[in-house]
Amino acid sequence: MSENNEEKSVPFYPDHVALEAKVALGLIILVVIIGVIGLFAPVGLGAPADAMDTPAHIKPEWYFLALYQLLRYIPETIGATSPVLAVVLLLIWPFLDQKPDRSKKTTEIRFWLSLVAVIIIIALTIWGKVS
Amino acid sequence: MKSIYRTILIVALSSILVLATAAGVHAYTASNQSSPGEGNDLIAQAPPEPENDTCFQCHVVEEYTNIWTPLGRWALFGVAGLILLFGIARSASVWRSKSEWVPIPTRILAWIDERYQLSEFMKPILAKPVPDWQRRWWYCLGGLTFTLFLIQGITGIMLAFYYKPTPTEAYASIQFIENEVLLGSTFRMIHHWSANGMIVMAFAHMLRVFIMGAYKPPRELNWVSGVTLLVMTLAFGFTGYLLPWDQRAYWATTVGTEIGGSIPIIGDLALVFLRGGWSITSLTLSRFFAAHILILPLVTVGFMGLHFIMVRKQGVMKPL
Repeated sequence: MSENNEEKSVPFYPDHVALEAKVALGLIILVVIIGVIGLFAPVGLGAPADAMDTPAHIKPEWYFLALYQLLRYIPETIGATSPVLAVVLLLIWPFLDQKPDRSKKTTEIRFWLSLVAVIIIIALTIWGKVS
Repeated sequence: MKSIYRTILIVALSSILVLATAAGVHAYTASNQSSPGEGNDLIAQAPPEPENDTCFQCHVVEEYTNIWTPLGRWALFGVAGLILLFGIARSASVWRSKSEWVPIPTRILAWIDERYQLSEFMKPILAKPVPDWQRRWWYCLGGLTFTLFLIQGITGIMLAFYYKPTPTEAYASIQFIENEVLLGSTFRMIHHWSANGMIVMAFAHMLRVFIMGAYKPPRELNWVSGVTLLVMTLAFGFTGYLLPWDQRAYWATTVGTEIGGSIPIIGDLALVFLRGGWSITSLTLSRFFAAHILILPLVTVGFMGLHFIMVRKQGVMKPL
């Protein structure tokens, strides 16, 4: 790439691959530790599924908790459509915002935007967890 | 580069050692705790003991009834001995010729490369320089997601060896994996937590790309494939969650598919498509299992290919 000609750089192979392999190895060590914990404290199972017995509190996994909490307080049709629309918005986002960045200001705007989104999602998740 | 190969080898060997030790300790400490059929209804039927298992037995007993077993063993060990003799002769000839020693892996790679001409094809991809600003941890998030996907693939295959996707057997097969299979609970634990980690990593990667504005032209399609991969990751979580067939899984899936069913116009179609009928039955389990182990992995690998090729071609966007 022409823009990087003056910069300090390392070859992709072997230097950069070695760095990434080290990071991946660190992750694998963590995974092995988790696996050893799993031997002594397994993930476990709840009661077997029973279509006749509806439990009092059904909660999804944490990554759907925010959506689940949102759906409890907004009308069903909008609630079901909004995640689809959100994914569609994410998909077409680069076609809506095509202007190349000229200053750091746009980066800052995007940082605060995503910070607000993350805080809302985390707040909804915690709310869904404790409620 | 040599040091990273050595590190990989050390980490792989010590992982195996740690897992084997932990499995041994676990087998030793847990042997007196659980005996199946202690009046607990939730414990699955234990498999037959080795001495009562006809099929297990028939492979072991009456082995020496004909001449072919000893002849086969002579042939096997004979070939091993010939390979050893060849190695000694080869080492001696290299030593006598005073030519440079080439390790066997290098020679094998060179031999394959002579035939496939792969290095010519790989050279432009591998030789591309990586600037120093790109060697920061926040550029690793995508790679870590991929590493976790590989871990999910390996542990998922391990679990699929023992999992049975029918409502009558799914629950018991997971109990079998957790209680009886060697390192079964380890693989289930790793599968469970790397699934969570993969969602966190993929989301963090997306945030990084969004904040830096790396989705702008010419990288729009890379963003689109990335969002698709995030949706695929969530779909993995959703389909995988039903597979244990316990109360939480069953009712979370009921609620989840109902949300899909309340989309206007296509709601009923989506509901029937997700459940394979109007209610959650064995058909739902089969189709979630098929999606989880066949459709989603294939689609994900395809989009990952596109994602990585575009990253290599266009390079990572330089921040301001």
